[in-house]
Amino acid sequence: MTAPAVPEQSVRNERLRLRLQAIRTFARRFASRPDGVIGVIVLLVFTVLAIAPSLFVGDLQTATTATGPSLSPPTAANLLGTDELGRDILNLTIHGTRISMVIGLLATIVTIFLGALVGIISGYVGGRVDTVLMRITDFFLVLPTFVLALILAPIILDLVGANSEFFGIRVTLLVIVVVIGVTSWASTARIIRSQALSVKELAFVGRARVIGSGPGHIMWRHILPNVMNLIVANTVLVFGGSILTETTLSFIGLGDPFAPSWGQVLNAAESAGAMGLGAWWYVVPPSVCIVLVVLAFTLVGSALDDVLNPRLRVRR
Amino acid sequence: MGSRYLIRKVVGACLTIFMIVILNFVLFRMMPGSPDRILLRNPNVTADAMAAARTRWGLDKPLIPDQLVDYLEATASGDLGFSFKFHGEQVTDVLAGRLWPTVILFGAGEVLAIIFGLALGAYSGWKRGGPIDYIGNGISLILYSMPYFVIGILILGVFAVGLHWFPTSGMLTIGGGDDTFASQLLDFFGHLALPVTTVAIGLIGQYSILMRSSVIETLGEDYVTTARAKGLTSGRILRSHALPNALLPAVTLIAINLGYVIGGAITVEVVFNWPGLGTLTVTALEARDYPVLQGIFLLLSISVVLANLVADLIYGRLDPRVRS
Repeated sequence: MTAPAVPEQSVRNERLRLRLQAIRTFARRFASRPDGVIGVIVLLVFTVLAIAPSLFVGDLQTATTATGPSLSPPTAANLLGTDELGRDILNLTIHGTRISMVIGLLATIVTIFLGALVGIISGYVGGRVDTVLMRITDFFLVLPTFVLALILAPIILDLVGANSEFFGIRVTLLVIVVVIGVTSWASTARIIRSQALSVKELAFVGRARVIGSGPGHIMWRHILPNVMNLIVANTVLVFGGSILTETTLSFIGLGDPFAPSWGQVLNAAESAGAMGLGAWWYVVPPSVCIVLVVLAFTLVGSALDDVLNPRLRVRR
Repeated sequence: MGSRYLIRKVVGACLTIFMIVILNFVLFRMMPGSPDRILLRNPNVTADAMAAARTRWGLDKPLIPDQLVDYLEATASGDLGFSFKFHGEQVTDVLAGRLWPTVILFGAGEVLAIIFGLALGAYSGWKRGGPIDYIGNGISLILYSMPYFVIGILILGVFAVGLHWFPTSGMLTIGGGDDTFASQLLDFFGHLALPVTTVAIGLIGQYSILMRSSVIETLGEDYVTTARAKGLTSGRILRSHALPNALLPAVTLIAINLGYVIGGAITVEVVFNWPGLGTLTVTALEARDYPVLQGIFLLLSISVVLANLVADLIYGRLDPRVRS
C-alpha cells in the first residue's frame, strides 16, 4: 500500500499555517506581560533615534562646529544645555544612542556566537572536549572579566593603532566590541550547553545519527534550532549587559572621543569636572538614556525568558 | 568524603590561579614592541646595550620553558616588575599603597549591601505581590540597570555639590595637619560616606533580586508545606525553615558575582577620587603602565578565586548534599 501523494502546495500551506499560529501564540503570551511591552516600546524609540539621529538634532556637533556658549544651562536654543566646548548636550546624547547601540549590538553578536558555539559543541560532543571547554568556561566565569577587558583593550589598541578604520568603523570601537565579546561569552555557553545536553538525548537526534548524519549536520540542523529559544532570550539580556560594559569602559577612558557614546559623554563630563561645577544637565541626559535602555532590555529579556522557556527559567 | 570535596576545590582553585598567571605571561608577550623595548622605554638604545639588557633579563633564552619558568618564579616570590609611571617603583609597593582604601571601601559597601539587600529580598519574597515587593522589585531593577558610576555621579551631585553635606573627593582633607586623631577619623568617615553608599546601593539591587527568587523557590519546597501543615506560624516558617536554606544559594551567588562587582566598582573610586586600586587602574591606563595593570589584574583575579573557594567551602560545610 502506498501513501497517498500529498500535493507539494498543501504541505507548504500547512507549514506556513503552523508557523503563523506559533507566532500568534507567542505574540499573545508576550502581550500579556506589560513590563515586556513597555520595554519593547522604549527600545523601539531608541532604535529610531539610533537609525536617524540627524533627523532630530542635525549632524553631530564637534569642537569646531559647536555654536553654543561654554557650559550653559538649558535654554531655548540649547534645550539640555551645552558642554565645555559649547556642544549641544541634546545633540550629543541623541548621537550617542547610535554609537552605544551599535557597539552593544556588535558585542552581543560576538558574545552570543562564541557562547553558542562553545555551548553546542561542548554539550553535543561531550567527553574530553566537553571537559576542556567547560574548564575554560569556568575559568572565564571566575575571572573578573571587566578587569581583563581593561588590560586587553589598551594592548590591542596599541597593537593595531588607534586611528585606523575598518569597513568605516573606527578601530577603537571595534576593539571594545571584541574585548566585550571575548570576556563575556562564558555564561551564555553554560546555559546553552545545559539545554544542548538534554536535546541530544531526544529521539530524533538518535534517529538522525542512525541514518548517518554527521555531528556537524546534527548540531546545525537539530541542536541549534532547539536551543534557539534560549539564544533569543539570552541575546536580549546580553545586549543590555554589553551596553553597560561599553559605557563603563568608555567612562574609564577607553572610548573614542571622536565617536561619543553615552559613556564617552560621561567621561568628558568627568574630566571637565561638570558635577563639581554643578552642571547637572551635562550628566543627567546620558545617564537617563543608559538606565532606560538597559532597564528596557532587562524587562524584555526576562519577559521573553518566561514566554519562551517556562520551565528552564535561568536564575539570575 | 568531606576531605575529598575539600581537596578537589582547593586543587581546582590552584589550577585556576595557575591559569591566571599563565594568561598574564601571555598578555605580557602580546604587548606592542618586544618586552625589552618596553622595559628600556627608549627607542634610541644602541644594539650593544640592548643585547646586554636582553642577556641580563634572560630575554635571549627561549620563551618556553626558560622565560616562563623565570616569570613564574618571580611572580611566586612577589616580584611583579617595575612601574613605568611611578618612577620605577616596585609594582608590589605601588599596589600595597593603594590596597587598603579599596579594601575598606568595598568591605564596608559589601557588608551594608548584603545586610540590606538580603533583608529586602527576603521580605519581598515572603510577602510576594505586596506593596514592599512591588516597590522594592521596581527599585532593584532600576538600580540593577545603573552603572555604579552613574549612581555615584548622581549621589555626588546631590549630597556633596548641591547640599554640601559631604566632601566631594579624596579620602582625607588636605592640610588637615595637626588635628586630633578623633577629628581625623571623623574626617575620614565623612569622605567615606558617599562612596560607600554608592557601592552599597549599586549592590543592593542585585542582592535583593537574588534573595527574592531564592526565598520564593524555597517557599515552594515540600518541607515548607510540611511545616505549614504542622501549623507553624508563617513568621516561624520563614525564620527556621525558609531563610536558612534560601541563604545558601544567595551567598554562593554573591561570591561568584564578586568578579563583576569589583570591575564595575572601580569606577566609583574614579567618581569620588578615592585613592584606591580603581583610581590607580585609571592612572595606569592613561600612562599605559602595563606592569601595574597586570599587577592589578593578578591581584584582583586571585582575590576573586580565593573568595570563590571560601564560598565553596562554606557551602560544602553547610549543605551536605553538594559534598557528594
